[in-house]
Amino acid sequence: MNVKRVVLKIVGLTQTAIGGLTMLFAFFLFYNLFGIQEILGVSADGIGLYLWTFIIFGLLSVISGLFLFYD
Amino acid sequence: MDEPHLKRELGLIRTTMLGVGGSLSAANFVIIGHAASLAGYAIVPIVVVCGLLSLLTMFSYAELGTAIPLAGGEYTFSKVAYGGFTSFLTGWFEWLSNMFYTALSAIGFAYVVSYLFPQINIPLTAVIVVIVFAIINLRGTKETATAETIITIIVLAILGIFVIGGWSFFQGLQAAPPSASPIGILGIFAATAYLFELYLGAEAVAAAQAEVKNPGRNIPLAIVLSAVVLIALYTSVVVVAVGIVPPAVLSEQSSPIAFVAEQALGPAGAILITIGLAITGLAATNEAILAQSRVLYAMSRDGYLPKGLCKIHKRFCTPHVAIIVGAIFTVIFAATGFVNFVVYAVNLGFIIGFSIVNLSVIKLRKIAPHLKRPFKAPLYPLTPIAGIAASAFLVLFIEPSVLILGLELGIVALLVYYIRMVGHHRIRIAFGGISLGLGVFVAFVAYLLGTNSIVLHGVSQEVLTIVFYVLLFISVIQVLAGILNLIISDR
Repeated sequence: MNVKRVVLKIVGLTQTAIGGLTMLFAFFLFYNLFGIQEILGVSADGIGLYLWTFIIFGLLSVISGLFLFYD
Repeated sequence: MDEPHLKRELGLIRTTMLGVGGSLSAANFVIIGHAASLAGYAIVPIVVVCGLLSLLTMFSYAELGTAIPLAGGEYTFSKVAYGGFTSFLTGWFEWLSNMFYTALSAIGFAYVVSYLFPQINIPLTAVIVVIVFAIINLRGTKETATAETIITIIVLAILGIFVIGGWSFFQGLQAAPPSASPIGILGIFAATAYLFELYLGAEAVAAAQAEVKNPGRNIPLAIVLSAVVLIALYTSVVVVAVGIVPPAVLSEQSSPIAFVAEQALGPAGAILITIGLAITGLAATNEAILAQSRVLYAMSRDGYLPKGLCKIHKRFCTPHVAIIVGAIFTVIFAATGFVNFVVYAVNLGFIIGFSIVNLSVIKLRKIAPHLKRPFKAPLYPLTPIAGIAASAFLVLFIEPSVLILGLELGIVALLVYYIRMVGHHRIRIAFGGISLGLGVFVAFVAYLLGTNSIVLHGVSQEVLTIVFYVLLFISVIQVLAGILNLIISDR
């Protein structure tokens, strides 16, 4: 496995993990698990917008990361 | 998997039984309770109206089923009429609606059985039913119209006993003053959209066209006959049900018809009706798993979905990957045990499918006027247009959360289609650009946070510092990923 391939795997895996964790974070934020809304000072009114933003961000990151990982 | 050459051995009666049997499901007799709470005694005419609305589209199914003698139902029709994204979207929603229908049939079975065994866990029972029938389908099922006919006749006989016995009991009661829908005209429309599900499955007549003797005559006749039988059956069941038990009480029962049977015929009646409905619930689950796996298989075979989904098991000769994938999604929805949500989801999927079938009839009459059509939809173009209008109207009364889910699934369909159909090279460039954009955006947010341009009230400095470094890290990775995707796509 050459250096380029290793870099691709590491970056791909990290980006996929970021995407996955972002979606998980969106879920935590939406259901206010561990009082996360208060910790970050997020108001409950705009929670739907945050949820959508994080899910879309996460989804795009996962797809892009998988492209790199499986290159 | 090669399409077998089927013998034309189904006469008018057995073809009609396919349509009747295809629509009978335990869930249909469970949802009557909630519909009664929406529409009150108006549920009786609503059942008739739903049957007539469904019949409009059944004419289109009959025309296309006899003109395009290929397996696949609405997915195949739209592929011939439109192709491209439209046929993909049709297949996508056909699979989803069959998947939801599988979950609904299993949940319906669980509710019906829970009348006799109240201690059972409904979601768990539904999940077990799905898994068992997925395994049965994996090993291969010998679908015979004879078995379907026998099951249908048994269930019709049990329901016949219920209607006759219930009617005699009903005659001895003091007539209750009929009341309108407790929530007015909107309740009536909502109940119509909800009960549309009653007649789904009757299109099995058109799907079986390859096995029907003299299809030009028998298919349209069987479609009309099965619609008449189903309208008569559901109407008489509902008349007896709301005649004996007030709608408000009916809506509180896990199995409303078994409850009515117990009032009219005693405990033996409740047991008999539960057995009959449980049989239909299991048969409907089995058929729905079969149908959804074949749609996934066909879409994969046509290159719309990953090739792995059309793999055939060496020993059992079944599309095992498609069955397992479909079963996983079904289990997730069956595990919720939410009847109303799943009913609306089934209806939304079928309403989209019905609309595309009607549109396909219109399109094919224009682009292929000389196509041999053993049967033509009567009063064309009024029937398909009325079918589309009815579908569009019913969508307005579907639960908003289901509409949002439908929209999201439509967006996912669009993504899947373009990822499969557009060249790999272009997709990588697109995702490279997207990653770069996301990276720059996150870096900008980190900069605003680091320079205190964004003030987060009530958040400690420690948390802000952690968030700043996390954002910086994400930004670096996104930019790197973007550059790598662009470089690799350029090779």
